[in-house]
Amino acid sequence: MRLVRAEFLKLRKRRGLAAAAIVLTLAPIVVGFAVLTILHAVDPERYGPAGGFENLQGSLELLTQIGIVAAILVGATAGAGDRGAGVFRELVVTGRSRLQLFAARIPGGLAFLLPLVAVSFAIAAIASVTLAGSGQEPVTGETIVRYAGWVALDMVLAFLLALGVSSALGSRGTSIGILLAWQLAAAPLLLSTGKLDGVLPNAALASLQPEPTQIVSTSLSVAIVVLVCWTLAPLAIGAWRTSTADS
Amino acid sequence: MNDFIVETHALTKRFGSRVAVDGVDLRIPRGSAFGYLGPNGAGKTTLIRMLLGLTPASSGTMQLRGLPVPERRAEALARVGAIVEEPRFHPFLTGRENLQIVAAAREPAAHARIGGALDLVGLANRADERVNQYSLGMRQRLGVARALLGDPELLILDEPTNGLDPAGILEFRGLVRRLVGEGRTVVLSSHLLDEVEKICDAVAIVDRGSVVWQGPIDAIHGGTRTVLVAVDDEPAALALLDRHEVEVTAEGIIVRLSTEAGPDVVAGLNRRLVNAGIGVHRLELSRASLEARFLEITSRLEEAA
Repeated sequence: MRLVRAEFLKLRKRRGLAAAAIVLTLAPIVVGFAVLTILHAVDPERYGPAGGFENLQGSLELLTQIGIVAAILVGATAGAGDRGAGVFRELVVTGRSRLQLFAARIPGGLAFLLPLVAVSFAIAAIASVTLAGSGQEPVTGETIVRYAGWVALDMVLAFLLALGVSSALGSRGTSIGILLAWQLAAAPLLLSTGKLDGVLPNAALASLQPEPTQIVSTSLSVAIVVLVCWTLAPLAIGAWRTSTADS
Repeated sequence: MNDFIVETHALTKRFGSRVAVDGVDLRIPRGSAFGYLGPNGAGKTTLIRMLLGLTPASSGTMQLRGLPVPERRAEALARVGAIVEEPRFHPFLTGRENLQIVAAAREPAAHARIGGALDLVGLANRADERVNQYSLGMRQRLGVARALLGDPELLILDEPTNGLDPAGILEFRGLVRRLVGEGRTVVLSSHLLDEVEKICDAVAIVDRGSVVWQGPIDAIHGGTRTVLVAVDDEPAALALLDRHEVEVTAEGIIVRLSTEAGPDVVAGLNRRLVNAGIGVHRLELSRASLEARFLEITSRLEEAA
């Protein structure tokens, strides 16, 4: 637990990272609902109420798309921050197992990331309920719970992927570059071909969305296997490199 | 309990075809200040990194605190503190927070030692400033504080006086002697031979990956002491001293004596010169400095290579 708290401290005290993570998780929801509310107030005939299921779904898709950048930043920092600062060897010489040092990064990073995502999600859920109009599909408790799980899954997977990759590469900047290129360009491009749904994590996540907005041909069991593989493989490589690399 | 806190046997590290540490047999006595000396690239830091588990050995065995490593690395390192090369920190954290990070990786009692360690190195009043505002000397002292968190039996300090001003070096010297006085062993890897000579009880000299000499600091001065003799009749003095190994320099005649030679031998030398009617202007007993011996040992190897 002390190691986890130390990991959390290292992330929390990076002002730039904290600011970026707050903006990337909260801004999409706050700005999105603010714009919808203003549009509805200005022209209610043309723009419906800001709440309701559709707006919740849209805002959460936006959250997962932009918030994933925050997850990558946090994951990459948790994975390579010590090595980048040259502090990892100072931790190794304490005699503490390298695997324990690696493992502590996971809860430490999630303790930093998930509260921000939770606040953002809570704002979206509350706004979608309180700002809903009479003619809109209502937001039920079940919907909120299912979407909460889906958003959390999305964020945790992006975080773990970034953590594994950065632990393996030992470079925060390189990892962020590679992962952003993958998440924002390569993966969507490959998904659009429609031929790799059975191996792509974004296809698996899309298939697990409570009300899918993209059509993907991935079954639940395949989606689970794909996500487990995309999580475990980079984590295993990251753990192996952390355990064996010269410090 | 074993008399040696560090023992290595045939310890070797290869990087491809290059041998960085070549079959090192090193024995560091408990409760001493031990100097680990060598020219740049001699393999000093590589050996320290192997001892601390930062890089694996290619072959050979090593023991820390009587425990074999890497087999019982965690147990062995629990009471070892170290600064390897320059101490590194998270610059965005304060000095105290940086110590908290490392204390979290040690036993729970390490947290309680943070205040005392900061006091000991004179950083208590700057501990809550971010490390990126620290001078090099302050970082060095913070590194020592961090190394003390584990209440170490063994401290391994790589170039610990880098960045310290003369007052800081003097304080550091006192700190090392104090730690040794508490029964701890301090290993100093340093190129500042004068510092090592002033602080350490024993030394090892490493060159091209091998330990070429190790033993008590008094013994490294070699089998000879010298007496500088300045006289008014040099040829007559040289004739009188023909049983000794001598060297004529601009300052006078340097006479080599055995290490056992004391003031009585020098007095006898003086008496013989005066009785022979030779005027003596200067008579000065000295012994080779560590620096001279270090250069002698390492350059002798260079010549042989």
